Amino acid sequence: MAQQIPRSQKCIAVLWPSFLVSIVATGLFFSAFDPADLYPFGKDTEISRLGIYSIGFLFFWLISTISGIGTLYFAITNCMRQDPGNRGR
Amino acid sequence: MSVVDQKTPETAGNTDEQVEKSLYAKAAKIYPREVHGLFARLRVLGVLSLLGIYYITPWLRWDGQQALLLDLPARKFHIFFITLWPQDFIYLAALLIIAGLTLFFVTAIAGRIWCGYACPQTVWTEAFLWIERKVEGDRGRQQKLDAQPMSLRKFRIKATKQFLWLAFAGWTGFTFVGYFTPIMELGQRLVMLDLGPWETFWVIFYSFATYGNAGFMREQVCKYMCPYARFQSAMFDKDTLIVSYVPERGEPRGSRKRSADPKALGLGDCIDCTLCVQVCPTGIDIRNGLQYECIACSACIDACDDVMEKMGYEKGLIKYTTENTMHGRMSHIIRPRIVIYGAIMLGIMALFAWSFSQRVSLGLDVIRDRNQLYRETDDDLIENVYTLKILNMDNKAHRYSLRVSGIEDLELRMDLPEIRVESGGVLELPVRLQVEEDELDARSTEVKFMLVAKDDPALSATETARFLGPH
Repeated sequence: MAQQIPRSQKCIAVLWPSFLVSIVATGLFFSAFDPADLYPFGKDTEISRLGIYSIGFLFFWLISTISGIGTLYFAITNCMRQDPGNRGR
Repeated sequence: MSVVDQKTPETAGNTDEQVEKSLYAKAAKIYPREVHGLFARLRVLGVLSLLGIYYITPWLRWDGQQALLLDLPARKFHIFFITLWPQDFIYLAALLIIAGLTLFFVTAIAGRIWCGYACPQTVWTEAFLWIERKVEGDRGRQQKLDAQPMSLRKFRIKATKQFLWLAFAGWTGFTFVGYFTPIMELGQRLVMLDLGPWETFWVIFYSFATYGNAGFMREQVCKYMCPYARFQSAMFDKDTLIVSYVPERGEPRGSRKRSADPKALGLGDCIDCTLCVQVCPTGIDIRNGLQYECIACSACIDACDDVMEKMGYEKGLIKYTTENTMHGRMSHIIRPRIVIYGAIMLGIMALFAWSFSQRVSLGLDVIRDRNQLYRETDDDLIENVYTLKILNMDNKAHRYSLRVSGIEDLELRMDLPEIRVESGGVLELPVRLQVEEDELDARSTEVKFMLVAKDDPALSATETARFLGPH
């Protein structure tokens, strides 16, 4: 079945759970650390707190998306190995 | 027991593969027919009150400031008379857990009532459907319009709809950001076209999400994206309220004249008008039994009751019922599942209320001066230097008195005549502790700082630190 999943649904399956996870991660991280106290790579940034939160959120989303893509890739290639006749796209 | 497993004879023939294929098929657009009736009115009531709460709340004022402001830039959450700080994140987490447990509890009793009446996905989809109907007309007109080739008229209608959708979504996105930055100023800056880059980003992001979810994705969000839709069946049992067709009464279905006697024709009460299918926002046929796509919106109940009334039959061919009732058994509201969910829910609520009432709106941190261990003063006293961080989380300014204990005759010296911290303010206060060398027994002794508000003894905080000496 894995080959028949439309690309749009694959995208949703990766982007949506990682979106939810990154909301939680952002909330946890920034309730523990004030962006004003952070000096990434030893540098003082001139970005507003809202900007740091946003960048943090997008960064968490990126990381969890990469992880989701990995999960999807391994799940699908595993399906193909178990059912080699059913090679699709 | 899962909902998908509860098959009536009609669905029992579907193999897993067929179900799976339909899951991955490209979704055809669903045109839900407008429906009137008791449950439709309840849903409109739900939709209007929830939309009202969403759009009005950020404009409410309390004590001269925004009543509900999750002020991310200032790291403070204002909720009416309460101000929460990052260290109160635990309360937010507890609230989420309580909300989750309440959802479990309600689901076990009343099924997917959340999905049908209160879920934001349903609420905004209803609003978008309403706009679509106002612009394009009812289901039949919409289908006809979509089948037509592009013309000036079609373009005009579609453009109007898109414009209204985008405007509504834009207002939704603006309101969303208004929960996180003061909405009055945000509105002024929007008018002046002077929004910050990140505010602009989030307004557009949330508007786009609203537009996409409520305008295009609709029931697909429930089918493919909603985690609750996937696991809600775990909360179901045979006493849970479900929307169901009564096959014993309806079958065999078939059309007939209103005057005809169904018994003489060998027919059941279902006249096969397919209105229940046409009104369904997820495009299923409830007569095929309980399906995971069903969001229990009960549009089919309203539609069918209407038809039954016109035919002169008894209402309730499709109705709210439980599996037990359908099989002629008693339904129970109170059962172990309900008691357990309820007990956990109430327990956590009570714990939350108690811990919240014990919350002290005062924070104290003591940081030892790391540059020098200790110092001998001119009068031969041993001196340690500390910086106190005092955080007033209360809604008004307070004066505090500071005491230290742990060593006999310990002297506290500071440069400020009094400790006063504004509401929401942080005071960094350098203090020096001095003691005679004879009083020290060890190289390091524990000392206690106690801070108490002068006008409210309940506002107190205690923090320990080390006092270092030569021994």
